Amino acid sequence: MRIDPNLVPTILADLQQSQVSLNTALQEVSTGKSVNMPSDNPAAAADMVQNTIDTGDVDQYTQNVSSILSTVQTSSSVLSSVVTSLTQAVSLGTEGANGTNSTVNLQAIAAQVQGILSNVVSDANTSVAGSYLFGGTSTSTPYVADSTSSSGYTYSGNNDSNSVAVGDNLSVNVNVPGSQIFSDPTNNVLGSLSSLVTALKCGTSSDIATATSAVDSALSFVGQQQTVYGNAETQLNSQQTFLQQDTVTLSTQANNLVGVNLATAATDLSQAETDNSAALAAAAKVLPNSLLNYLSSPS
Amino acid sequence: MGGLNTSLLIGVQALDANQGALQATSNNIANVNTPGYTREVAQFTENGENQAVDEVTGGGVALSGLQSIRDELLNIQIQQQTSQQNSANTQSSSLQQVQTFFTTNGDDIASGLASLSSSLTQLSASPSSSSAQQGAISSGKNLAAAFNTTAQGLSAAQSDADQQVPQTVTQINSLTQQIAQLNSQLGQVPAANDGGTTQDQLDQLVQQLSGLTGISITQNNDGETITTGNGTPLVMGGQSFNLQTTTGTNGFQQVVDSNGNNITSSIQGGTLGGAIDIRDQVIPGFQSQLNTLASQFATAFNSAQAKGFDSNGNVGANFFNLPSNMNSAASGISVALTSPAQVAISSDGSAGSNGNVANLSAALTNTLPSGQSPADAYSSLVFQVGNAASGASTQSTAIGQNLTQLTNQQGAVSAVDINEETTNLMRFQAAFEAASRIVSTVQVLDNAALNMGSSTSF
Repeated sequence: MRIDPNLVPTILADLQQSQVSLNTALQEVSTGKSVNMPSDNPAAAADMVQNTIDTGDVDQYTQNVSSILSTVQTSSSVLSSVVTSLTQAVSLGTEGANGTNSTVNLQAIAAQVQGILSNVVSDANTSVAGSYLFGGTSTSTPYVADSTSSSGYTYSGNNDSNSVAVGDNLSVNVNVPGSQIFSDPTNNVLGSLSSLVTALKCGTSSDIATATSAVDSALSFVGQQQTVYGNAETQLNSQQTFLQQDTVTLSTQANNLVGVNLATAATDLSQAETDNSAALAAAAKVLPNSLLNYLSSPS
Repeated sequence: MGGLNTSLLIGVQALDANQGALQATSNNIANVNTPGYTREVAQFTENGENQAVDEVTGGGVALSGLQSIRDELLNIQIQQQTSQQNSANTQSSSLQQVQTFFTTNGDDIASGLASLSSSLTQLSASPSSSSAQQGAISSGKNLAAAFNTTAQGLSAAQSDADQQVPQTVTQINSLTQQIAQLNSQLGQVPAANDGGTTQDQLDQLVQQLSGLTGISITQNNDGETITTGNGTPLVMGGQSFNLQTTTGTNGFQQVVDSNGNNITSSIQGGTLGGAIDIRDQVIPGFQSQLNTLASQFATAFNSAQAKGFDSNGNVGANFFNLPSNMNSAASGISVALTSPAQVAISSDGSAGSNGNVANLSAALTNTLPSGQSPADAYSSLVFQVGNAASGASTQSTAIGQNLTQLTNQQGAVSAVDINEETTNLMRFQAAFEAASRIVSTVQVLDNAALNMGSSTSF
């Protein structure tokens, strides 16, 4: 049977084929990706859409965790300082109620408690990056002096709280409105301090004792509220660990989907180089050959 | 009994015949690289015997003609495969162009969705930060821009395909005119005879034509009748029928046959069929999904906006603007908000609340009326685009291999083999030399006969 005498198209097709393999291998090695276009692996390219979105989210969740963790820690330490102030107020109250103090002494104690009250108000008005820690979701200063109020201060924040997203289905409550901590109807921190000041200034020992015990119960109430932040902190720390693992999982997934095994890619590249040189060498050997090479020219 | 003159005659005939064969061989060698050339083989026939009174002698050789060696069936198979391959190639190159817009490169829709999603998450932690609010607006703009770019990419590929239609039709018309001319030349060659180089040229043109559109060929007394796949005549004998293009109601070029019928949708195969398929079927499929996604997502996001309040305490205004025509949702989507304060972050109207961020984020993950979440709807589109691109290129490769096989077979039948021609050259050279020797020998013998009985030679 006669065979196709024209080797050129076949050789060109082979060369082109080996060139394609060479280019693919080179691209895989140089980009580190096996999927550079959706057509390289449509299913992997489609899965990468979700992976891209998830990766972005996890990055942002991680940032959220660290930013609110610092807010929560600040809130918690502010409350600790309030607790310290209140403890001090209780001991001052107890001292004032023991019936051995002169009026001058009582006035001095009252002035100290007044100072504590100012500190507590200042703590309650703490702001971080422009937002108040204990103002609910409001942006106005939580406690402002108000002579008409019994405690001397009015709450201008609101009773809402924000939950911050730190996971696809997890949000952490990051603030307790000041109205729940400092001006609760039954355990009113500011009110009880204010009453103690009044009692110290012009009350009987028994008035002072009553006011002191109100401050004491407000103290333990603040202690309870502090656990909200403690719990949030624990939750955030464990979420941070989870997000770190999730980041690794997502990047592993991305690598599995579109990444390239460098060892395989390098082997492929060297294989493609060998194939390409072999095809070129074969072409160089075969193409110039014909019967004419072996005939002597006619004399 | 034949005389010396008979031998002389046989010698001269042999010289003629072998000279003709040498010419054929030279012509084959000369055309070794001519596309569409089929090798020609000299046809030697022995002449009738000389009948003398009591003896029969051979009558020498004649060159009865040159036969082109071709296989018309293979040609038809090659034409069909060429049609399919060009169609796949046209689709593949268009889809290669399209799929770059669906690659995760930071400016695509997936990156846009990811950046909007993470800027909303950031707003959740810092609802009153104006830079976080600005971030959400910018991400929204990036997403809208990604929709615009992708839609423009699809339209650009579609209009490229559209431009191929009139160009290809012009080429088709030029080819069918040349084919009709060759057909009428071939009509003058007796049916039994070989068409020779005219047939080569015709086959070559028909193969070019088959690359432009799918055709069907029938042989009859007038030569070849060529029609499109669905039967619209292109060439009948010596007559060609021009196709025309007009702008259709959809703004795209429509193909019209010589009777004024619109045959656009029935054209298959070849560059023309591939371009029409991409333009009228493949890309519109992607466009409609993209528009549905853009419009349903924007609507869902806008209604999430409306559930909350912006930083000034107003009910959330539309975040995205959509064009009134849903068919241009993806190309026309834009961010409606002008100020970062307009992002509806708050659920209670106070500026520090982040209560509505959860609703906005949910618009990115909740199921749209299409039954898929925005990310899933877009993933599915990426899959389809990738699959179509890889399908077209796989098809092109597969047909390419088939075509190589067929071309090899055709080469085996019709191609000029230099080695074969070289041996022929030697064969005919030897025969020519031998025939010359007959002539010179007869001359010597003639002289000998004339000098019989004479003492002096002539």
